[in-house]
Amino acid sequence: MEIGTNDYRVWTEGSTIHYEGTMRLSGTDAYAPILEIMNAVLAEKPELITLDLSGLEFLNSSGINLLAKFTIEIRKQPDVGVRVLGSKAIPWQSKSLKNLQRLHPALELTIS
Amino acid sequence: MSVQEVTSEPAAKQDPPRIGRFSRHSFRAKFILVVSAAVLFDLMLAGGVAIWNVQRLSKDATEKVGTGLTRATEEYLQTYIDTTALRTDLLLDQVFSEVEALGGSMQTLIDNPETGTEVGLTVENDPKLGDKLVFNPDAGWSQNSPGESVVSVWGYLLDDEGNPTPEVQAQIADSSAFNLIAPGMMKTGAPKLQMYYVGPKDKPIMRTTPYTDQAQTFDKLYPGHNEDNFWDFFFPGVYEGWQAWIADPEARPVPRDIVGTAPYIDAITGAQIVSFFYPLWTADRSDVAGMTAVDITLDQLSSLVENVKIAETGFGFLTSSAGNVLAVSEAGAETLGLVSVGGEGQGVTGFNRFLKQSRFPAVATLELPHNTGTVIDDITLREKEREDGEEYIVVLKELAPINLWDGENIVAENLTLGFMVAKDEIYAPLTAVQQQLSEATQRIVYWQIAALLVSLLIVTVAVYAISGRITNGLSRLAAAARALQNKDYSVRVDIPTRDEVAAVGLAFNRMAEEISYHTENLENLVEERTSKLETANREIVALNNRLKSENLRLGAELDVAKRIQEMVLPRRSELEGIPQIEIAGFMEPADEVGGDYYDVLFDGDHIKVGIGDVTGHGLESGVLMLMVQSVARALQEKGDKDPVAFLDVLNRAVYKNITRTRSDKHLTLAFVDYYDGRVTLSGQHEEVLIIRANGETERIDTMDLGFPVGLEADISAFVATQELDFGPEDILILHTDGITEAENDAGEFFGLDRLSQSAHDNREKSAKAIAEAVINDVKSHIADHKVFDDITLVVLKHR
Repeated sequence: MEIGTNDYRVWTEGSTIHYEGTMRLSGTDAYAPILEIMNAVLAEKPELITLDLSGLEFLNSSGINLLAKFTIEIRKQPDVGVRVLGSKAIPWQSKSLKNLQRLHPALELTIS
Repeated sequence: MSVQEVTSEPAAKQDPPRIGRFSRHSFRAKFILVVSAAVLFDLMLAGGVAIWNVQRLSKDATEKVGTGLTRATEEYLQTYIDTTALRTDLLLDQVFSEVEALGGSMQTLIDNPETGTEVGLTVENDPKLGDKLVFNPDAGWSQNSPGESVVSVWGYLLDDEGNPTPEVQAQIADSSAFNLIAPGMMKTGAPKLQMYYVGPKDKPIMRTTPYTDQAQTFDKLYPGHNEDNFWDFFFPGVYEGWQAWIADPEARPVPRDIVGTAPYIDAITGAQIVSFFYPLWTADRSDVAGMTAVDITLDQLSSLVENVKIAETGFGFLTSSAGNVLAVSEAGAETLGLVSVGGEGQGVTGFNRFLKQSRFPAVATLELPHNTGTVIDDITLREKEREDGEEYIVVLKELAPINLWDGENIVAENLTLGFMVAKDEIYAPLTAVQQQLSEATQRIVYWQIAALLVSLLIVTVAVYAISGRITNGLSRLAAAARALQNKDYSVRVDIPTRDEVAAVGLAFNRMAEEISYHTENLENLVEERTSKLETANREIVALNNRLKSENLRLGAELDVAKRIQEMVLPRRSELEGIPQIEIAGFMEPADEVGGDYYDVLFDGDHIKVGIGDVTGHGLESGVLMLMVQSVARALQEKGDKDPVAFLDVLNRAVYKNITRTRSDKHLTLAFVDYYDGRVTLSGQHEEVLIIRANGETERIDTMDLGFPVGLEADISAFVATQELDFGPEDILILHTDGITEAENDAGEFFGLDRLSQSAHDNREKSAKAIAEAVINDVKSHIADHKVFDDITLVVLKHR
């Protein structure tokens, strides 16, 4: 599965979801197709879902809301592990991704 | 019914005129015309080219044949005249040789006087060959009796008794060898009239063979000759001429001793003759010693010339350089228009037939060639003052020169041989060939034209026959179309061929079927379509209305959101009323109103400044912000001074409301509490910037001071506080990500560093001025680039 425009690209490889580029979509509705992809991965109930954000240069507040809501959904399913990959070079990640871990302490956060 | 009548009337008026099958407007007629014209053009072109070529061929052939025949004719004439000239020269040469032979023998006797005398005496004593002179007392001359030859001794050479004087007698004896030689020569060789000998001027006895009564004839023809010297009487000037040659051999006009005479009537035979003389010399070559001579009739020369026969009536003629025609046939003389004039003169009688006296000017003005070889010329024989005339070719050739006695002196003479032939005779074969060529050409042209006409006839008939079949389909189509026009929709055409017309027929049948179907079903069709269109229209109107209301709703929502955002912001007057801290707030919503929030709550002691950012845009974000503001205000009014509890209660209230409204939004929210020179930070938001009075800058990360509000039911575990001194002239700056993430055209963020620098640069100014300066920097960074998010800045400066 893959969704994208000139600005960003989101695609899945097994239970890994990759994010790339600049996401500045205007609200929850606009992020719905991306959430769909993510939920589809979750529906498979894999052992570990990996969110690879290391290529995502920018994410607006609605996008962060999306990640938070998805984390809460995963939290509801204790059998499903989650791992988030970020990059130190991208300022918003080191700041905002911590909140995901706070939402779901079992979440494995790697910012390298 | 009435409607049908009205519509059918104009249709009938526009009905095209019916075209008969054989009308000149019919397709068939045009087809025949075009094909016939094409064939006619083709045939005319091909025929014309053929005829032109035949004509050219004929012309070329005629020219070639003409040139060839003309050249052949000229060559023939040239060869013929050359041959004839050669024969003439040969004939004369033969005569000359014989007279030279006779003269040569006589000269030998003169050069050897003793032997000569002895030979003479021997001959004289011969009973048969010896001269037996008989004196004629009546005539006064002496002549021998008939024999092989005759010798005449004139009166002035005799003594009183009629006997020759001794000198004369000796002369007679010395020359009697003539009797021995001449008769034999006379009988052999070229045909000659006579050969004779004349003695020297003082003893001009005359010997002639064969025997004639020459003295009697002279007496009759030339009275007085017996008294006068023979030479002076008959040939004045000849003797003197020869005498002149002795002194100067170069004086001979032609380097040969022979001298000829002009033609004259022979005194003895009465025939037209020419004489050739050969002079004899004394033994010591000091004087003339008489001559030998030969007469030939002109007929012998003429027979050569007259035997010339070219074509039907072509003839030859021989003329002297003076234009006196010496030899020509009677018919030739007539053709040349010659007039014979008897000549009067001393001695021998000549005759004249001069070219210049011809009846025809062309002949009279004929120029004889001299040292120019053969001349071929065209002349027209026409009498004076007459238009008609016959064309002749005249060929002239000069013969080898001879010495001529002209009656007074010896001069050079060139005889000229001439040929005359009528052009139409000589060119008769050419004319015949040309005639035949012309006839053949004519025949070919006639046949060509006939073939052309027959081809045209055949093609026309064939085209007529075929055109019927070709245009049959079209005629049927036209008829069917006319029937269709007259509203007979049942008409169909049947075209058996497999060409385009048949294809058109098929298409026509299909169209006729469709027309028939549509005509019959038109009303149903129109009704069906109309109802479909109406349905579609209704749907469109409904959709349009929905769109309008949706737009209206969206527009209204935005307006409300904007209004709420503005309404909730603290008033300037409120801010100015705060004693310890100077506070300046700035907020600029993006096009689609964002969810930025800031507030300043002051209850007399405590100042609480809040800043937040609701996710998303629009009315929902605005309402959430309003909720946050209301709860915060309520808690402040209640006097809740514990920042952690404050945030916890606020989160719970908001979380529950969000759950109830099924909104999926949340917000970041941080508070700054000021009291008595100290600030307490709580809640998670962007970094807080503090610029101390001494210029030092501090950045305080708020990530560990709280958690997004409205995301979790209980966030108390995450909320913490941080206390900091905030003394006079210290500056504290709060912002939303609209400032740090403001992009320029290159996609570069404004960033915290620039914000920090900008604030630091302006730290001496008032809070309001700092805010303005920073916003200016942000805007100049963005320039013309799109503003994505609300921009909010709050500056606190300790008074």
